[in-house]
Amino acid sequence: MRIAFAGNPNSGKTTMYNALTGRSEKVGNWGGVTVGSKEYKLKKEFAGDKEVIAVDLPGAYSMSPFTPEEGITSEYVRTANPDAIVNIVDATNLSRSLFFTTQLLELGIPVVVALNKTDINEKEGTKIDAEKLSQKLGCPVFKTVSTENKGLSEMIAKAISLAGTIQTAPYLQADINLHDKAAVDAEDRKRYSFVNDIVAEVETRKVKSAESTTADKIDAALTFPIVGILVFAAVMFGVFWISQTWLGPLVADWLVGWIETFQGWVAGQLENSPAILSALLADGIVGGVGAVVGFLPLVMVMYFLIALLEDCGYMARVSAVMDPIFKRVGLSGKSVIPVVIGTGCGIPAIMACRTIRDERERRATSMLTTFIPCGAKIPVIALFAGAFFSGAGWVSTLCYFFGLVLIFLGALLIKAITGYKYRKSFFIMELPKWKAPSLKFAFKSMMERAKAYIVKAATIILICNTVVQIMQTFDWHFHVVEEGAENTSILASIASPFAILLIPLGFGVWQLAAAAITGFIAKENVVGTLAVVYGLTAFIDTEELAMTGGANTVAMTMGLTSVTALAYLFFNLYTPPCFAAIGAMNSEMKSKGWLWGAIGLQLCTGYTVAFLINQFGTLFTEGHFAAGFVPGLIAEACMVAAVILIGKRVRSHFDEQYELHRKVVKEGAAA
Amino acid sequence: MNAATVIAVIAIAAILFFAARYLYKEKKKGNHCVGCPYAGSCTKHNNTGGCS
Repeated sequence: MRIAFAGNPNSGKTTMYNALTGRSEKVGNWGGVTVGSKEYKLKKEFAGDKEVIAVDLPGAYSMSPFTPEEGITSEYVRTANPDAIVNIVDATNLSRSLFFTTQLLELGIPVVVALNKTDINEKEGTKIDAEKLSQKLGCPVFKTVSTENKGLSEMIAKAISLAGTIQTAPYLQADINLHDKAAVDAEDRKRYSFVNDIVAEVETRKVKSAESTTADKIDAALTFPIVGILVFAAVMFGVFWISQTWLGPLVADWLVGWIETFQGWVAGQLENSPAILSALLADGIVGGVGAVVGFLPLVMVMYFLIALLEDCGYMARVSAVMDPIFKRVGLSGKSVIPVVIGTGCGIPAIMACRTIRDERERRATSMLTTFIPCGAKIPVIALFAGAFFSGAGWVSTLCYFFGLVLIFLGALLIKAITGYKYRKSFFIMELPKWKAPSLKFAFKSMMERAKAYIVKAATIILICNTVVQIMQTFDWHFHVVEEGAENTSILASIASPFAILLIPLGFGVWQLAAAAITGFIAKENVVGTLAVVYGLTAFIDTEELAMTGGANTVAMTMGLTSVTALAYLFFNLYTPPCFAAIGAMNSEMKSKGWLWGAIGLQLCTGYTVAFLINQFGTLFTEGHFAAGFVPGLIAEACMVAAVILIGKRVRSHFDEQYELHRKVVKEGAAA
Repeated sequence: MNAATVIAVIAIAAILFFAARYLYKEKKKGNHCVGCPYAGSCTKHNNTGGCS
């Protein structure tokens, strides 16, 4: 037996689905979080002995799809014949929600209405007569609060009992020509009028929709272009300062203390064992993984704070303020959502691009969204901010805002290459009501990500660090590399050719090249590999109770200046993401040309940014260009030439099409 | 070969074995992005077999 969960965006479908199935699908306090359908068995406490499958569908405003995810919903309820539909209705916005409800009721499939978010209505003094609404719609109506599991058992029991029955519709669409836009519009207006009549009878509001409340005034300020962006910058600075300068390192210190003690103990136990064993176990596995895990508290605090911002409704306001800028550079207003999601992980961010209708905008967004540093890059940022910039909070803020700037510049470049012209497009996004963020939700979100982080550290990063340690310990004849002859190791010989390419960027040494390469497997690997190749396992100073800062061991061992450290950090942040994210890009773009274009663009961006920072940074600080300026300039010239050639090639296709068209016209005229 | 060495060899082998086995099992289940915070609940993973 299958029950479909359908409703408007941000009505709480996935939250209800999670509560009923025990799953932990991604939820967010804005529309468009769910981009595909998901299925899972209902918990026994709700389904009893029956096997009931719940199907969570993306949000839709109507059965006539406007966006791809709305298409998934309308196609599913039309063709998959679920046994019942649970229509989740946002009780705080009844008139808008019931339009879709009346359409679902026409399908003949039994519908149960879940009047969700009734707790917010109670706070606002809005009353809905559920019994009367049920009579008017001709289907059962239950008041529910998904976040508190209220009303779910009764609602789901009713849905199960109705399976197999035929639903009657309170409103039937007239037999009109669906190709006639005017007729469809007129019919929609009739349906709205029918819905509004019902709402007028069942709902009493203390605060009228047209009244301007304090929340409306706050929204007006936060979505005003300049104020909104400044507030966003201040908020993000606060998030980074708390997570990476204050609270994060404070907790990390305690964790690192334990890891160091354990590492020391392991090394002590292996005093009389072969050195390779101590290097593998104490330095490679415990030290390398420990270096990454040491940053876990910073990541957790940041995820916690971001979850609070998402849950209270602030991130939706950020989307609204960014929308006009994104449109101007040739992206969709909806491109904002992947960028916001991208602060967590690039893969769901790339998947979220699916909500963008236009193919070019969708591909361009999935190509650019990973310029926003994801959670895996936090340890890299924190390490370099701590070691070279005394843990300054501005470094993280700069990384994120510079990522945004690169998205805009990249979008302008794609716009120029593809010959795109600005056109008016619409981005409909409801601003969810402000609410006190749920600590439980934020804690859960933080723990889920922490678990994933630990799993990654204990699997991919552990194996990578072991391989790196082995490659560093042995030469190609499998002899242990002598002290002072590290350049003969397998790792050094593989990474050295790449290191030559990095000389113009200021970090042309094999250790840093090896760390950057392993970063493509998982970005945390950059930290893990640096720990292994430099024998630095404690990046957090346990005595100072803070991130290591200034001219400390880490900075001295790596032999980087502040300028080259920033160049190396940016190189790792803005070159292509991990392979998994590249795979997600491949799935979303569905074009090898665009995929290779994306990888090329990201490689060139990372290289160019690092080159400019290193060369001009050195010029400003030391009065001369850094080593490799001319070769770097040649590499840059090659990149520019490649962009021009690709642009010409893309445009020549337009010309070919145009020529063909003209021939057809000429032939037609001759005939 | 002392006891510590034997234990260390076994520990390294066990750690690597379990890490590799976990990765293999996840890949077999269709989860191509181990360590992604959304790997378990990824829409593509649930419906079309993997993000990548």
